[in-house]
Amino acid sequence: MNIQIIVNAIALGGVYATIAVGYALIFNILKFSNFSHGGVLVATAYMGYFVATKLHTNFIVTLLITALLGGILAMIIEVVAFRRLRKRRANTMLYFVSSMIISILLTNLITVFFSTSYYSYPVFFEKSSFQIGGITLITADWLQLLISVVALFILQFILKKTRLGIAIRALSTDSETTSLMGANVTVIIAATFFVSGALGGVSGMFLGMNYTLYPQLGSTMITKGFVSSIIGGLGNITGAVLGAFILAAVEVALTNIDFIGSSLTPIFTFMLMIIFLLVRPQGIAGSTAKEKV
Amino acid sequence: MSYFNSIISSVGISLIGIMSMYIITGMTGMFSLGQASFMAVGAYVAGILAVNLKLPFALCLVAAVVVGALVGFLVGLPTTRLRKDYIALVTLAFGEAIIAILNNLTAFGGAMGLSGIPKRTTPALVIISVVLIAGMVWQLKKSRFGRQCMALKDDPLAAKSMGIDVDRIKLMSFTLASGVTAYAGALYAFNTTYLDPTAFTWNVSAEWIIILVFGGINSLTGALTSGVLLGLLPELLRAASEWRIIIYCVIVLLIINFRPQGLFGNYELNLRTLGRDVKRLFTKRKNINEVKK
Repeated sequence: MNIQIIVNAIALGGVYATIAVGYALIFNILKFSNFSHGGVLVATAYMGYFVATKLHTNFIVTLLITALLGGILAMIIEVVAFRRLRKRRANTMLYFVSSMIISILLTNLITVFFSTSYYSYPVFFEKSSFQIGGITLITADWLQLLISVVALFILQFILKKTRLGIAIRALSTDSETTSLMGANVTVIIAATFFVSGALGGVSGMFLGMNYTLYPQLGSTMITKGFVSSIIGGLGNITGAVLGAFILAAVEVALTNIDFIGSSLTPIFTFMLMIIFLLVRPQGIAGSTAKEKV
Repeated sequence: MSYFNSIISSVGISLIGIMSMYIITGMTGMFSLGQASFMAVGAYVAGILAVNLKLPFALCLVAAVVVGALVGFLVGLPTTRLRKDYIALVTLAFGEAIIAILNNLTAFGGAMGLSGIPKRTTPALVIISVVLIAGMVWQLKKSRFGRQCMALKDDPLAAKSMGIDVDRIKLMSFTLASGVTAYAGALYAFNTTYLDPTAFTWNVSAEWIIILVFGGINSLTGALTSGVLLGLLPELLRAASEWRIIIYCVIVLLIINFRPQGLFGNYELNLRTLGRDVKRLFTKRKNINEVKK
């Protein structure tokens, strides 16, 4: 029973980690809280559903297509909402507002088109659970964890070893100098949005599988990404992953304490956040992006 | 006529909310995505006092403002000293926490909502409140406190070196705005006579920020104008009710992309600027006539 809870917490942590990292990547380079990531989450959750039911694809193919669609969606968002602002060197505040509008826009588009009927993902696996040494493991759960871990490792590889990754990291430090070094900033930012959107697609599809689909799913779940990022240190990717697992552990633990229940978890998440901000405002990772003056 | 009255009341109440957002964002440069939860605090305090203790209307309003400001002070104490993104995210989490608390307060309706509040808010009272608060914020903007706020908004470091106590001013501005929002909440409670927690999600706060940016973040009269325009827009578009939020988002997105300073920019509409503009218009006409001669 107790091991079961721990397994649940780790699986949930994996999903939160993909959300948090998709959010942290954009924070890393553009230094603003990207609310449109919530829109990407919910849009891809619906896309994944339609891909799976209309094309009758299996789990892995659906996941790949959804990730691709998520990446493309994020690139479109970058062009529509942020490119002109960046060309004009607008105040960070405007990026923030623009991303909120995109999030509200996507949520409402989904409400207009899809809120009238009820959708739930098809069953991908023949055996929904299996046993190892007396512990029941739900297939979807551990597969999600596995894929989250793989996705995060691929991301780390891209960031640390490829030219694109080095360019992204350079950009997060100083966009002017990166540009002077001959890197095409516009292309790098578009690519970062693609990577972030693809991660959003993966997490969106997992969310769709774990919960029923509803238009506000994205704006509810993006707060998990924010909280994880704050616990871990804003814009720090390793920190975001750690924060996501801590958050998931706290949530699962609280849900399993009888007298608290899941409806009060937002209060404890808020308190967790406040405690972290008071004790260690720079987050676990400890290297927060300094505010540009 | 009652339809007309209800529009006046609802637009007026959201104008008060927008003005509180102006104090935080327009003057001090912070972002609060939990501002609607201070409205919830005000609304519930006023509603509970009116329903359970049968207190007079005026006393309920005062109590709402006091409690709202107090809660604002407690939330602001750990958060306002942090960087902008943290303020936005912590207040967002605070909003979620407040909604969770209200949902679990079964003694006061819980998720079912609090009903039976007497209808005391009249359009006249709302209009008077809007005018008085607008006057107050206007005076505040011109006062020493307001100028300190605007100094630290542009450059906190420079403001600090000029001897401005940045943390204290930020906290004061946040507390004051929370009190104003709580007042809007109390008016809301006595207007709708029914409260439920879902009316105070972060989307409401986001909408206020969007309206503020639409009108021009530095201009109080701009914020008021856009508050009226965007408040009435959904009513005008009622025929296309499903699409109105989408249309609204697209309009604001265009404004941000093509006129990032908002409709008004730094311009403040008042008798002096109006007189100046009329004069300028007149002299320009005269010049043109002279050229023609």
